[in-house]
This record gives sequence, C-alpha cells and structure tokens, in this order.
Amino acid sequence: MRKLRAWFLRLAGLLGKERRDREMTEELESHLQMHIEDNLQRGMTPEAARRDALIKLGGIESTKERYRDRRGLRGLETLLQDMRYGVRMLRKNPVFTAVAVITLALGIGANTAIFSLLDSVVLRFLPVENPQQLVQITRRGPEPGNEGNPTFTNPIWEQVRDQQDVFSGALAFGGQQFDLAQGGEAHYAKGLWVSGDFFRTLGIHAAAGRLITVADDRRGCSGVAVLSYSFWQDHFGGAASALSSRISLDNHTYPIIGVSAPGFYGVEVGAKFDVALPFCATAVFDGARPRLDHRSWWWLSIVGRLKRGIGPAQLRARLELISPRVFAATVPANWDIANQKNYQKWVLTSAPVSTGTSGLRQQFERPLQILMGVVGIVLLIACANIAGLMLARAATRQREMAVRRAVGASRLRLIRQLLTECLLLSTAGALLGILFARWGSVLLVHFISTARDQVYLDLSFDWRVLAFTAAISILTAVLFGVLPAFRSTRVSLTSAMKGSPAIDPERHARFRPRRWIVASQVALSLVLLVGAGLFLRSFVKLMTLDLGFDRENVLMMHTEARTAGIPPEKWMATWDEIERRLNSLPAVVSVGRSLITPVSGGEWDQYVQADSPNPPSGTTSDVYLNGISPGYFQSLRIALLAGRDFTRQDTATSPKIAVINQTMARKFYPNLNPVGRTFRLSGDQGKYGDPIQIVGVVRDSKYASLREDGFSCAYFPITQEPGFGGGPNFLIRTSVRPSALLSLIQSTVAGVDKSLSLQFDTLARQVDDSLVQERVLATLSAFFAGLALLLATVGLYGAISYTVTLRQSELGVRMALGADPGSILRLVLRDVVIILVAGMAVGTGITLLSVQVLQSLLFGLPARDVLTLALAAGVISLVAFIAGYLPARRAAKVDPMIALRYE
Amino acid sequence: MGDKADVWQGTLALMVLRTLDTLGPLHGYGIARRIEQTSENLLSVNYGTLYPALLKLEQEGYIASEWGVSDNKRKAKYYKLTRAGRKQLEREIQGWGQATAIVARFLAPKEQSS
Repeated sequence: MRKLRAWFLRLAGLLGKERRDREMTEELESHLQMHIEDNLQRGMTPEAARRDALIKLGGIESTKERYRDRRGLRGLETLLQDMRYGVRMLRKNPVFTAVAVITLALGIGANTAIFSLLDSVVLRFLPVENPQQLVQITRRGPEPGNEGNPTFTNPIWEQVRDQQDVFSGALAFGGQQFDLAQGGEAHYAKGLWVSGDFFRTLGIHAAAGRLITVADDRRGCSGVAVLSYSFWQDHFGGAASALSSRISLDNHTYPIIGVSAPGFYGVEVGAKFDVALPFCATAVFDGARPRLDHRSWWWLSIVGRLKRGIGPAQLRARLELISPRVFAATVPANWDIANQKNYQKWVLTSAPVSTGTSGLRQQFERPLQILMGVVGIVLLIACANIAGLMLARAATRQREMAVRRAVGASRLRLIRQLLTECLLLSTAGALLGILFARWGSVLLVHFISTARDQVYLDLSFDWRVLAFTAAISILTAVLFGVLPAFRSTRVSLTSAMKGSPAIDPERHARFRPRRWIVASQVALSLVLLVGAGLFLRSFVKLMTLDLGFDRENVLMMHTEARTAGIPPEKWMATWDEIERRLNSLPAVVSVGRSLITPVSGGEWDQYVQADSPNPPSGTTSDVYLNGISPGYFQSLRIALLAGRDFTRQDTATSPKIAVINQTMARKFYPNLNPVGRTFRLSGDQGKYGDPIQIVGVVRDSKYASLREDGFSCAYFPITQEPGFGGGPNFLIRTSVRPSALLSLIQSTVAGVDKSLSLQFDTLARQVDDSLVQERVLATLSAFFAGLALLLATVGLYGAISYTVTLRQSELGVRMALGADPGSILRLVLRDVVIILVAGMAVGTGITLLSVQVLQSLLFGLPARDVLTLALAAGVISLVAFIAGYLPARRAAKVDPMIALRYE
Repeated sequence: MGDKADVWQGTLALMVLRTLDTLGPLHGYGIARRIEQTSENLLSVNYGTLYPALLKLEQEGYIASEWGVSDNKRKAKYYKLTRAGRKQLEREIQGWGQATAIVARFLAPKEQSS
C-alpha cells in the first residue's frame, strides 16, 4: 500500500517539475548556509567552511540528480525523452519513416483483419447471459463417422425438453426464409422459428414491446412476430408504431409484439435473423404434413443452459441415460426396419456453444486459421525488410552513435533509444494498420457472402482484437529492432570519428546479417507462394471441372404456389403454362423445371432396391433423387446415353418411370442393360414402394457439391411427384445474357398469375457460390503471397544496392586495375545467388514439412505437389534475380574514377 | 574521517524517524548533525544521501514537510513525524531489537563442552 502510494507520488513527480526543482535547490542552499555558519563558528576561514560543507554534501549537482531520481520515475522520464528524440529522428528521415510505417501497417493491418474475423467467427462469446453455461445438443449414431450432427426433429425436441434434468432451461430454433412481398419480385427476410422459452433462456431483453414466451407457443396458435433490432431500424425506422402493425410473411400476416435487444442476432454466428416466430406458427406454412409432428423433418437445433454444478461428465451421463427413451418415442415410421433399429441406437451428445453455433464456423474456421498463418508470415517478411532498412540506416548514424558514446552514453542507453524508435514506428504502423483492417475485414465479409447466404458478422473491435494488435506491434518492434540496435551501437570510436577508411572490413562484415535476413525472406516467400499455388490450382481444377451440365446461360427462377394462394390441383397446369409461354420467347432456348437445382445445397436421397442380382443394400443403396420436367436435361445439356427422356405423356397417372445416371447404372445393374429394369424406393414401415421402371440413362452430373465423385442419381417425372410440386425451380437456357431477359420473363409469368413472387439466380453464380471457401482461400493466399514476394524483392534489391554502395571504392579499384565489367557483375551476382540458394533450400524444407496441413482443403492434387513447388521456386528465382541484377549492373557500369574519388 | 563508519543501508531511515520522534520538527541539516552527535561522531552521515532518503520517507507518508524559519532566521524545510511514521518507527525498533538479539546470540562466548 505504502509502496503504491510512493509510486503514485513519483508519477505525480513528473509534473510541476520546475517548482520542485526550485524548492530542492532552496533546501540544499539553506542546508549549505547552515553548515557554513556552523563551520565559521568553529573558527574555520570562510573558504575552508564553504569547502568543507560542499564536500560533506557530496557535490550539489550529483545530489540533485540523486534527488530527482528518487522524486520522479526515472524510467518513464527517460522514455519520454527517448520518444521525443525518436520522433525528431524519424521526422528527419521522412522517406524511411513512410516506407517503414506503410510496410508495417500492411502487415499489422492484414493480421488484425484476419484476426478480427477469426475472433467474431470462432472466439467471441454470444451477447447473451452467461454464454459459457450454454451447450448445444448433438447426436451420435452407432456407425463410425456419424457424430456431432446438430439437427433434430420437433418430436425429438419435445422429448428432450420434457425428459432432461440437467438444464435450467432448454430452447430450440430453426431458420426459414420468408417472402415479405405480396406478388412480383420476392423480398426475403430471414425468419427464425423459436421455442417458447428461447428468449427467456438466453436472457435476451426486449428493446421495445415484449418477446415471445411459452404462452405464445401453444399448438394451434395464430402466431406473433418479434423483430430483430436492426430489422426494426431498417424497415420501420425504429418507429414505435411498428408494434401495433402487422407483418406479412409468405402472404400470412402476424401482429408484431416486440423488438429484441440490439446486438442480438441469434445463436448462429454469421447469420442474423430479421423476424422471430413461435414454433406453433409453422403449422400454417406446412399444410397437411406439419413439421411439428414430422419424425424425419430435420430442421431445428437444440441448446440448453446447464444447471449450476453440472459438469461435462454428469451431462454426458444424463444425456446417455435419456437417449433410449427419447429415440424410442420418436422412431420415423416410414423407415425400413434396419434403419429404425439403427435410429434407436442413437445417443444424445453435446458441444459447448458459448461462442454460438455456426455452419459458417465449420466452413471457415480452418481457412481462417491458415490465413492467420499466412498473414503472420507476411508480417515476418515485413519485419525483415524494416530490419534491413534499420541496418542500412545504422551505417549512416554511425557518427552520431560514436559521438554519443564518446560523451558518456552507455551502450545500453543507446540500444534503449533505438528500440524506442522502433516502438514508435510499430505503433504508428499499428494505428494505420487498424484503419486498413477496418476496411479489409468488411471487404472480407463481403467476399465470403453469397447470394444465398448473406454473412453477417459483428466486426466491432473488442478488447481481444485490440490486445492482439498491441501485442503484435510490440512483437514486431522487437523483431525488427533488436538486431539492428545491437549492431549499430557496436561502434569503434576511433574509426567512426576519423571517418571510415576506404575499405573497412568491419563494415563489410556488417552486411552479413542482412544477407541472412534476405535469405529468410526468400524462404518464407517460397512457403507462401507454394501455398497460394496449391489453392489456386485446386480452385482452377474445380472451376474447370466437367460438371456434367453446362452452367453458362442458364437462368434459374424459383416460385412458391402456396404464397400465391394457388390450390394444389392447379399447380401442374400453372407451371406447364409458364413453361410453355417462356419457351415461346425468342431468346429462350429451352425451359425445364426441377425440385432441386444442382449444387444448391438441397438434397433428396432414399434407399433403393434394384431388381438385379445381388443389388447394393443398406447405406450403400443410397441414391440422390430429383423430380424434373421434360425440358430439364435439354436446358442443362446433360447428355442422354441410352433409352429416352421424359415427355409430356408421362403424367401422374401413367406408369411410374425413372431416368438414372451412369454411376447408378454401373453400380446397381453391373453388366446389364438397365433400361427396362425396375427399382423400388424405401417406404413406410421398412417396406419398399411400387416398382419404378427405368426408361433412360444420362451422363453423371454434380448434384450436391463439386467435390463429390460418382454418386448414384435417379430422376422422376415431376408430374409423378405431386407432394413436392408447390415450389418448382425453372431452368431457362437463354441465347443471350440471362440478366437481359429478367423483365421480359417477369411480365410473361405475371401474364399467367400476377400473385406469384419470383426469385432469380443464374446457374453459373450458384456454382461459383458453392466454391466460396476455395475462392476466398485462393484469392487471399495469392494476394498475400504477392505481397510477400513484393516485400522480399524490395528487401533483396535494398540489400544488394547497399553492398554495391559500400563496395563502390573497392569495385573502382578493381576496375582501375583492369577488371572487366563482366567480372564485376559476376562478383555482385554471386551474393544474389548465395542468398537465393540458401533461401530456396530452407524454404523448400519448411514447405515440405508444413504443407501437409493444407491437404484437406485441396482438390485434385497432393499437398506436396512437385509442379507447384517448381513453379513457385521459378517465380521467386526470376523475380529475385532481376531485383539483384539491377544494382549489380549499376555497379559494373560505374566509372572507376568517380568510384575512387568517392569518400 | 577515515575511522568513522558509514551509515549502514536501511538504518538511515530508522535514525531519521527516531531523531524526529525525540526532537520534534527539524530541518535536514539538523537531522544530519543530530545523527552524528548521537553516535558521538562515530558515524558520518553522507548528506548527499540524506535528502533522497527524506524524500522517500515523505513519499511513503511517514514524515511530512513544510517550510519554516530556523533559529538563525534562515528559511528551511522542516520535517516532522506523521502518525504512520510513529507506528513505522515502533515496528522498526522492534525488528531491530530482534535482529541484534539474534546476532548477539551468535556472538555470545563459546560454551565449554563437557
């Protein structure tokens, strides 16, 4: 306590310095006078009296200095002094300062940007009450690999809610997109279905009105809506009148009862909801087969708040205990016996959820970690550049250092001064870097958003990001500052004062650390270039992959019969009429429609029993399914290999038929002609449905993802799948740019039914969007590798130019003695080659050791791909050689007379 | 001066506190003289170290200072003991007594072994 008080007073001692100095002088003065008077009384002469008093005091100035030391905080005072001096030195060299600050800002900015993304996607806690108490329920099946699945059906949720005894509250939620428009082009809002306890369990308060409670979530409810704060601001301008109005979602209107707290965007990171509705309101949307009772409609996530004192072991034990009961009560009746048995072996598991649930995280956690490593390396290379610059500057400040040493500054004191300058540089770089990072991270989020998945992240800098930035800026200062500081304070006083001799062996030696710095830059650049090369080549492979369909010039149009109020019996006729009218448009080549579009994220799969000898069974008999109209294959240009396509004569009442793909033909009917054969789909109670006859075989095409390879797929006439006919996707092949036809198509559809709302996309963009992770990695790693290469090149150029300058007189002597320019060139280039070879060797080693971590993100090539490594090495060699050649040529061209007169 | 002992590290503060305790408010020169006199001139106070020591005690709140006028009408800074300083003095006296007792026990005449 006393110590703290003293420390505080010393801190205050930094202020009001002059008055205190004066008081101190007065006190010492009065002391001296008293002493002198005493001495006089004892009979000393005035001179002796004064001399004795001064000796006993031990020198006025040194006493004062000791007094000052005690009064203020010496370290802080020195620091302030160093900083003032540092600022002055940096301002004297504006070019050096600007280059260093911008280089650092790029490096630190890139790190901060990626880290702030990592922070908001992976690290940040949800803005709810005690997020660390939240756990997400997942499930694990008996077969290997089937674990951590977080989606559930409503019957399971109700069982969990009623049976669990480890949570003080449990909640469930699911998402759905709603159309706000009533006809015309669709305007979508992100809907969030919430269980009654959702807001209460999370501890979210209302910003206005009230939130959904258990009382709002009763079967048969008419439904109420809670808006998110940002939606309220954007669509209602934050007006209180919104609370007494109604909101139309897919043509159903709901009273708005309240607005949730600002800053709360839901439990899923990367997504935000616009409007929340209670579970019971789903009934209105679902019609005959409501999801509330559906036992294989997997649409919700479950989160619980742990009771106090429940540990992970207890939680696991309790969940395992209730699992058999939960699953036994919710067995899907339409599954076959084997799968029903399997289902009952499932076990509830859990995962921590304090930082939110997220598909975005699953998708981007690893890429972000890799990018974090990449920008870390970029920062290292930037540090190396600045260290190189500092070393060069050290040579010019040699005299200054020597003078300061000569007048008594200790070496430690000089090192401290130099490190303070470094800290100033890195702080300036960090401040500018934070600005860069602000722009950069917004750009990045934009980059990972797709038309289908708008990514929303809270990117406000929290303490973690700021602490990170502060830490790396200090670290960089140490990295680029320590070596130059030690080097440049090691001065030989005499030679520095004399002005250095023409050839100074000491100086030449000073070049050596710089050479190693540049070599390490080359090595690190190689690592980044190889990484970027791997991602780029994977991406290009995916982009140029044979998809089995032609993605260009296909416009996709989605519509919903239910929101337009079209009765089911009129669906087929309406869609057929739209197809017919669109087909007659001049720029339309063909029109087809399907339940599921390629690589859209939608999937429909079922087990299949083929009428061939020893057909695949169980999970190996899983087949992707789709319902299509006769124009589908034509619109996507999927080639028919055998049999026939569907026609208008294949209707709901005609015999059930299917077209299958090559893989299915090969797998289910080996060495047989599948056309004319039949298969059955798994149905209720483990029985198989009616036989479906195969009428044709088409080429394989990608269904769910571009990375998939050889999945079986069967297509049915869309007319024979009436249950799914309410929301078709039209695929329109056009002879012109698809976007040019939008208004024409809209008016054509309106001619059939004005109340249909339409959503447009192109197939090409849908394919592109499915590669967002690959594109982000390829683009960013290429960008950063380019930056790294640029920095390393500048570093190499600087280092070689510097040696050439240092050796100018030596080279002049050589030339005067008859060395030809060619040999001078070779002499200088030898340095370049040594740097390159050393850098490449180390870089190749690091690459081979580290690149394996990228394997899971690559497509179609091994991580240790020789071609990529060779290409990267080639690029670096070429660029580095040019960077070294320019100063070397300058050296060879120099006039020996000028070189000799130099200095 | 050569045979005078220097003030040991750490004991200067104790002596200053004790001096102020017995004599009341006093200026720096007075404190230094008093310490020398009390030690019967066996101790020589380095006046240069006295002032930083006084400042330290003041920062720690054991003594307080104010400007006053000395016996011979000279302006001087007077130091006086605070309540915390008095307590600290008691603690230090106690500690010192213990320390000397321990050292004394070590230096006691050897016991004859039987």
